Amino acid sequence: MVQGSFKIAIVGSGPAGLSAAARAAELGISHVLLEAESWLSNTIYRYQKGKHVMAEPDVLPLRSPLTFTAGKREAILEAWNSGTAALGVNIAHRARVSAIGGQKGAFTITLDGGDTLQAEAVVLGIGLQGNLRKLGCPGEDLDWVQYQLDDPDEYKGETIVIVGAGDAAIENAIALADNNKVYILNRRDEFDRAKPGNLSGILKAIEDGKLTCLYNTKPVAAEDSPGGKRLRVATNDGETELAVDRIIARLGATPPRAFVESTGIQFPSKDPNSVPAVSAQYESNVPGLYIIGALAGFPLIKQAMNQGYEVVEFIEGRTVEPADTPLLRDKFAVLPDITDIEEALATMQRRVPILKPLTPLQMREFMIDSDIRAPADGEIIFQLNDYTDTFYSVVSGTVEIEVDPADPSKRFTLGKGEFFGEMSLISGRRRSATVRAGNQCVLIETPRRSMNKLINSVAAVKRVIDEVFLRRIIQGKIAPTLPPEEIADLVSSAEVRQYRPGELLFSEGDAGDALHLIRKGSVTVSREIGGKDVVLAYVPAGQYVGEMALVSDLPRSATARAAVATETIRLDGVAFKELMMRRTQVRDRVQEVYRSRVAQNAVAQARPMGDVLEFMMSQGLGEATDVLLIDESLCVRCDQCEKACSDTHGNVSRLKREAGPTFANLHVPTSCRHCEHPHCMKDCPPDAIKRAPNGEVHITDACIGCGNCERNCPYGVIQMGIQSKTKPSLWRWMLFGGDEPGRYHPAKKDKSAKKATKCDMCKDLDGGPACVRACPTGAAMRASPEQFVKLYRGGR
Amino acid sequence: MAQTPHGSFLRHRGYRYLKLGSLLCIICILAYWAHDPADGPNGGSWLGYTLGTIGALLIGWLAWLGVRKRRYGSTMGTVKGWLSAHVYLGLALITVATLHTGFQFGWNIHTAAYVLMLMVILSGVFGIGVYARMPTLITENMGTSDRETLIDEILDINQQALKLADPLGPEVHRIISRSTERMRLGGGLWAQLFGPLPPGRRAIDELRKIVADEESAASAKVFDPQSSTVMFMAGELSQAKKRGEIAEKSRQLMELIGRRNALIVRVNRDIQLHAQMQIWLYFHVPLTVALLAALAAHVISVFLYW
Ligand SMILES: Cc1cc2nc3c(=O)[nH]c(=O)nc-3n(C[C@H](O)[C@H](O)[C@H](O)COP(=O)(O)OP(=O)(O)OC[C@H]3O[C@@H](n4cnc5c(N)ncnc54)[C@H](O)[C@@H]3O)c2cc1C
Ligand code: HEM
Ligand code: HEM
Ligand code: SF4
Ligand code: SF4
Ligand code: SF4
Repeated sequence: MVQGSFKIAIVGSGPAGLSAAARAAELGISHVLLEAESWLSNTIYRYQKGKHVMAEPDVLPLRSPLTFTAGKREAILEAWNSGTAALGVNIAHRARVSAIGGQKGAFTITLDGGDTLQAEAVVLGIGLQGNLRKLGCPGEDLDWVQYQLDDPDEYKGETIVIVGAGDAAIENAIALADNNKVYILNRRDEFDRAKPGNLSGILKAIEDGKLTCLYNTKPVAAEDSPGGKRLRVATNDGETELAVDRIIARLGATPPRAFVESTGIQFPSKDPNSVPAVSAQYESNVPGLYIIGALAGFPLIKQAMNQGYEVVEFIEGRTVEPADTPLLRDKFAVLPDITDIEEALATMQRRVPILKPLTPLQMREFMIDSDIRAPADGEIIFQLNDYTDTFYSVVSGTVEIEVDPADPSKRFTLGKGEFFGEMSLISGRRRSATVRAGNQCVLIETPRRSMNKLINSVAAVKRVIDEVFLRRIIQGKIAPTLPPEEIADLVSSAEVRQYRPGELLFSEGDAGDALHLIRKGSVTVSREIGGKDVVLAYVPAGQYVGEMALVSDLPRSATARAAVATETIRLDGVAFKELMMRRTQVRDRVQEVYRSRVAQNAVAQARPMGDVLEFMMSQGLGEATDVLLIDESLCVRCDQCEKACSDTHGNVSRLKREAGPTFANLHVPTSCRHCEHPHCMKDCPPDAIKRAPNGEVHITDACIGCGNCERNCPYGVIQMGIQSKTKPSLWRWMLFGGDEPGRYHPAKKDKSAKKATKCDMCKDLDGGPACVRACPTGAAMRASPEQFVKLYRGGR
Repeated sequence: MAQTPHGSFLRHRGYRYLKLGSLLCIICILAYWAHDPADGPNGGSWLGYTLGTIGALLIGWLAWLGVRKRRYGSTMGTVKGWLSAHVYLGLALITVATLHTGFQFGWNIHTAAYVLMLMVILSGVFGIGVYARMPTLITENMGTSDRETLIDEILDINQQALKLADPLGPEVHRIISRSTERMRLGGGLWAQLFGPLPPGRRAIDELRKIVADEESAASAKVFDPQSSTVMFMAGELSQAKKRGEIAEKSRQLMELIGRRNALIVRVNRDIQLHAQMQIWLYFHVPLTVALLAALAAHVISVFLYW
């Protein structure tokens, strides 16, 4: 039981909170560290046993009374346990904070169970993992009721009840069913939240009798009865009792947001990924309430620990130069005149309007992620059709944008304070123009993730970027030669629409009331022929659909459907027609597209692709930039492709030839599609997944092996593996046998050092994809969606 | 479905190597026709030496495919291009080498090399044949599944069948466990190439008999007019019900075993098709090694006798 009054109360003993408490203890400040669990640092405690924890970013110095170097999970936790003990940190375990009230100087903290305590300042370091949902019935804390499963092979011959219907529950149930009697308890009558692979897996396991599923069933109580461990459950037919050895509940976690908001802290947007904004001293909008670590948007251990140290200094009224200042100084090295970093950051914010709404901390973070570039006059920043996805702000000087690829002399100029690169950022497509540096140009180049984070956390940034994107894409696609005033009406009629995969934009026969400019995702155009929906065309982001009905005044002649999650800019038909009436060049341009589409559709109808396109769309073609395809009528199953990949990529193959679906003779092996908006990038703590100029989505050495990307890729193409440099010798193998090149799997000694591996399209190899070049028969090929459609239409 | 656009290695670059190979043949034939050495056409004339050298270089290069196809990082063309050239120039080799010999065959190391060469080429031609045919057959047999999945399913069914058989008494259990033990996937080379014996019907037949027995017993007892007391009736009825259940379970077992056997046939067919598609390489490559040895002997002996 903890009670009393403290100067600093720290909530959460993750690396952030722990480091703060350790600093407070070191300084002899009255403090308490409140941790919900019986151990320290729950997030790290829950890593897989023996996991190798990495200390990214390398260049950042550590500033904390506790030690932290890359190493095994166990060693790190042990060092923190002994470190906190030596410093005399005042830790309260099993102290879950449920409410924080009061104000600066007099906060009241309420714990689960009703205890309260007082503190002058509160530091929130509760991370983003949230609280695991418990059974929600008596007995939920019994020691044979667990909420996690490390190693399914630990259990043999037990009767185990799995509670839950999500991916984790299903994966656990299937893994345990080999050696145990397993029940899976599902509140509802289906597994609709599971990934397709898990869904078919569990249904099959149930059908085969490997395990038993109790549908529409809820736990009522877990109890130790004289006869043994029992779980009472409620079904539609009443209550029954199961004799069990163990209950494993996998019910997900409640995100911490609701709790955080209850303390008065505000989130900048509804986006579930957004985190609260804090000042340069880590203070939230509630004075005296500080936020550090993952919850403040810093997803790595070292950053969290540094902030723990710094926040205590700030509360004590001292100023410390943040640990990342040397990093920032490096960034400014290109501008030798600058000495005062704080001043330079402020100047940049003044010069670039889009950065104005950032808090100083956000600005620091933004600059640490970004690079400052001072390109020479005339230097190319990026080329038309590059696949890069960074965002540029112009700090001084100018850049020239070549609007017409046919005529490089047609340019328009952007000056100080403006930005560019937002098209690729939003659409995930290639660069739509070549950009050159102008006179005395200084730019900030920001990676995609940091930009997306900013868009999600600062509403003003999102609004400005969306507006500019809208204006530029409408201008670029519809009226590149008109002055902006001419299209003002059209722009103001525009609205952004979002569609789920498979949702209709419009149907054949509808009145043609609008034009859709695809902002993100892609669309298929189909027509009903002989009672069947026949797909005629695939339209990627950056192009428009729906112009036919506007040009011809007839009802829609085809159906447009989102192939993947899609966003369009809907332009009102009336405003659009008006513009066409007024400006013949607009009309001519649209009519040209219209004519070429009519011709295309005629070809498409004459050479129907059948269901092959639909099959490929279901395989992610609609969001892919490049897919590996195997023609099974040519494939002699020699696995040369796999061997080639393995041999050229550290003995870990990035593709599985045999796995993956087949349609007629077309096989899509398990290999990366290099998505336009890679799902794998979403949640990578060190931002290790990047897109190269030719579109290759690849994983850099910064990977810390957390496995998030493996879970996030819907196509299951990322594996956690151990790469090795040694290659077996070809001649030795040919003459004496032994390890064959391409089939060499060095002993996997150190399982913990696994990193994410995936196809990088052989971007570092001369000659392109090794898998395709090693295929003896020509069965393997890589294609973009556009090439695919073209090829399968017979080379037209 | 539209024809897939993937170009086969035979069509590589608009049959570039077919054209090249044909050209080589024509030139050789013309030269042979024009050339008229004093002692008749033979390997010892200047044309003979030239053709022999071309032939030997070709053979060395053809054999190099085994190296090139495993140099995965190599940027020297693609393996597809190499194989295309391999096939057409390998065929052209027949002309080159035959003209080199001047049709002088005998029981000697020279002719041994020649014959080995023809055997390598023949096996290669056979290889082209199976490479053209088997892939589609494999896809047709497998449908959308793959071998590993099917084998998993078979093992699963075995487990299920044993579980189902457990309560049905030792007799049924014995039938099932024997049937699972006897099941054969793949096997030796012979079995792989020509297919192992199809799974026996014995288990199914035996189960069928049990079903029939239990069913007739069950129905006979229920309608037995002799049964006198109510108690006896009740006992018999539950007996009959139990027998009915046994019959029902056995029927399920039969279905399971039937399904499993169908899967076994499919997996075995897959193994067989793969074996048939790849076996020729086990001739092609060792024969190549023998050919290289014989060729070396030929060349050395020719220089020794010179
Ligand atoms: C699988 C995985 C692997 C990773 N690997 C690495 C790596 O190798 N290197 C790296 O730098 N980063 C890694 N990370 C990221 C790293 O774990 C986090 O950035 C870091 O843990 C964040 O620290 P934190 O202190 O902000 O929060 P957390 O570590 O999440 O700690 C929050 C603590 O608060 C407690 N808590 C929560 N709510 C309450 C409450 N209401 N009352 C009291 N206590 C509460 C929790 O029990 C927990 O102990 C990895 C992440 C994952 C998921
Ligand atoms: C470096 C390449 C070669 C050289 C220098 C060479 C040389 C010769 C010579 C000098 C002869 C005439 C021998 C004689 O008349 O007794 C000969 C004959 C012959 N060569 Fe070659 N040869 C070469 C490659 C080949 C190749 C590639 C083959 C076929 C695999 C081949 C098969 C034969 C045969 C079958 C004969 C006829 C033997 C006979 O006359 O009984 N040679 N070669
Ligand atoms: C004397 C002539 C030839 C020699 C020495 C030769 C040698 C070889 C060698 C060494 C390989 C590599 C096998 C491996 O390592 O897996 C190979 C493969 C092959 N050869 Fe030949 N070959 C010859 C002629 C031919 C001909 C004439 C054909 C076809 C008509 C042919 C068809 C093939 C095919 C299809 C392959 C398989 C390629 C693969 O699956 O990777 N070969 N040959
Ligand atoms: S790994 Fe998966 S999500 Fe990422 S680009 Fe490849 S296919 Fe897309
Ligand atoms: S690449 Fe994948 S495994 Fe590696 S750090 Fe990023 S999300 Fe985690
Ligand atoms: S393109 Fe390269 S990395 Fe990708 S699957 Fe093929 S060989 Fe592997």
